[in-house]
Amino acid sequence: MTTRIAGLPRETNQIGQTPWLLTALAYGLPVFFILIPLVSFLAYSFFWVKGTEVHYDLTLLNYIRIVTDEIYLPVLWRTCVLCLEVAALTILFGYPVAYFLAGLQGRKKYVLLMLLLVPLLMSYVIKIYAIRSILGGNGFLNRFLMATGLIQEPLTIFVFNLNAVLLALTALLIPFAVLPIFLSLERLPRNLLEASADLGASELQTFARVVLPLSLPGVIAAASFVFVLAIGDFLTPQMVGGNSGFTFGRIIYSQFGTAYNWPFGSALSVLLCVLVVIAIVIGGRFGNARGRA
Amino acid sequence: MASRRLLLELKSVAKSFGETRVLDNVDLAVEDGEFITILGPSGSGKTTILRMIGGFTMPSAGQILLDGKDISALPINRRPFNTVFQDYALFPHMTVAGNIGYGLQIRGVAKAEIKRRVADALSLVHLGQLAERYPAQLSGGQKQRVALARAIICQPRLILLDEPLAALDVELRKQMQLFLKNIQREIKTTFLFVTHDQEEAISMADRICVMNDGRIQQIGSPLDVYYRPQTEFVARFFGDNNLISGRFGPMAGDARTIDTGFGSLSCAVDGQPEMVAAAAGGSAYAVVRPESIQLAAAAAELNGCENKVSATITAVEFSGATTLVRTMPQGSDIEMRVKLPSRADGMALQIGAQVALGWRRIDSRLVPV
Repeated sequence: MTTRIAGLPRETNQIGQTPWLLTALAYGLPVFFILIPLVSFLAYSFFWVKGTEVHYDLTLLNYIRIVTDEIYLPVLWRTCVLCLEVAALTILFGYPVAYFLAGLQGRKKYVLLMLLLVPLLMSYVIKIYAIRSILGGNGFLNRFLMATGLIQEPLTIFVFNLNAVLLALTALLIPFAVLPIFLSLERLPRNLLEASADLGASELQTFARVVLPLSLPGVIAAASFVFVLAIGDFLTPQMVGGNSGFTFGRIIYSQFGTAYNWPFGSALSVLLCVLVVIAIVIGGRFGNARGRA
Repeated sequence: MASRRLLLELKSVAKSFGETRVLDNVDLAVEDGEFITILGPSGSGKTTILRMIGGFTMPSAGQILLDGKDISALPINRRPFNTVFQDYALFPHMTVAGNIGYGLQIRGVAKAEIKRRVADALSLVHLGQLAERYPAQLSGGQKQRVALARAIICQPRLILLDEPLAALDVELRKQMQLFLKNIQREIKTTFLFVTHDQEEAISMADRICVMNDGRIQQIGSPLDVYYRPQTEFVARFFGDNNLISGRFGPMAGDARTIDTGFGSLSCAVDGQPEMVAAAAGGSAYAVVRPESIQLAAAAAELNGCENKVSATITAVEFSGATTLVRTMPQGSDIEMRVKLPSRADGMALQIGAQVALGWRRIDSRLVPV
């Protein structure tokens, strides 16, 4: 049957014309803004620097330096551990928040969710300053602990070291952990919870046997999300890490900045990039295997 | 029906969601071991009844008694009932065996025992070879049987089935009806089955509770609700029924006469004291099922019919096993539908032909307007 509705033919016409443009944009933008820069980094990592001059003949020197120098791999390892800890902490704090949000009814749920996402709209630097003023020697945390009489002198364990980086990254990245977990809990059919209760399970048993396993893909997604964001961050460690809070991101930053050794910085970036891809693949595999079962 | 022990009783149960009242003063008694069906159109409150018995919804008023004890406040997981959900609600991350054994695991039953009982339940629903499959790998009918096995295995006092066959195609639904009925006979557990499908209810239930608009319209055997409706809703609900409006005449022996547009009809009123007592002159419907009406060329050929009407054929509709004949009685604008077994020669019924319709007194009932 060919029933024509006024206005419809023109629309189908437009849709019929646009695909090549859309296709070009869909492939072109990532190629232009992601793939080309990445490839140029990869290329740069095989160049070398003498003084301030880049030499454009290919060499593996940068990679050899990463492997042989006693600084880079240990820092990378410590950074990985730190970021895993950040991921673990964000999930530990984020899961209950997501669970609480997913259990709410109606408008309240989305208002609270929006509030949770408001920090994402704020400048990263401002948030770091805020966290610094909380953690600092004269900061809110120390004054609070002294006021309660738990400590006499301001603590220095949260100031300009890896602990500070850990806490700051955790605080900054919690929203990224809450969202995927919230979504996986939201998608959980209500009648599965009813079926579990119907078969005699208490709320705790239902949580352990039905809710938690079925939200695991969300947890994995949250973990890989947070890990990837944390490992690439150089600003936070720079601002709250001090001298001892040295991370891989800061090393890369210093190669591009103060050291002005772009080829070596590129080689370090390539290494980090490979690591991130591996983290995403592992996360994807694990999340999928659990989700499909 | 032999009188059985009372299992569950709903006493003046009501439910409102905000301003809307979905259940109004419902009284229902479920006997031990019976297959009772709650039948009604969507929005009639039938699922709400099931959910209140299961504990998923709390009644706004009234009591739910199990063995005479009020269980209204008992949480879902403490009620000795299990539910087969409309969309099965199988746990997607557990195998068939895991799903079926879930209730036993929760109760801390020993592993070997769980294994044995899961195997028993699987063979009861003919799914032995699928124990290690995941729900996503099953067909609709198989999921249905897993859901049933999961509900049966904890040996509940009552199994609640919430339109479990609605998602299946016609052929499979027929098979599953028979299957469910057989299982119910085999394990002798009480089934409370919610459906909107009249045929399904009639073919499966020991008793049917017909609901409309949050109220129980009638509770009775399939024969009762089909042939002896007590309200206009029930009379109309089981398709194609003839409802003839008229005014009460006097009692004539055991029967009551009703004056209609095409004369005085005689209707059985046993078991309907309010129809016996109704004042003459009041309005009522005489109800007669289309397949209870005989059709003949002349009134003299009708056998044993207390009610006779002459009519004109207006349409003949062949629909497989039966043929529906639409007729218009003389001096009336009420259509009388007659359902006859079909024959290869088309029964030589001609539109416009004069025929005689007749039916027995016991085949016509009265319902209030």
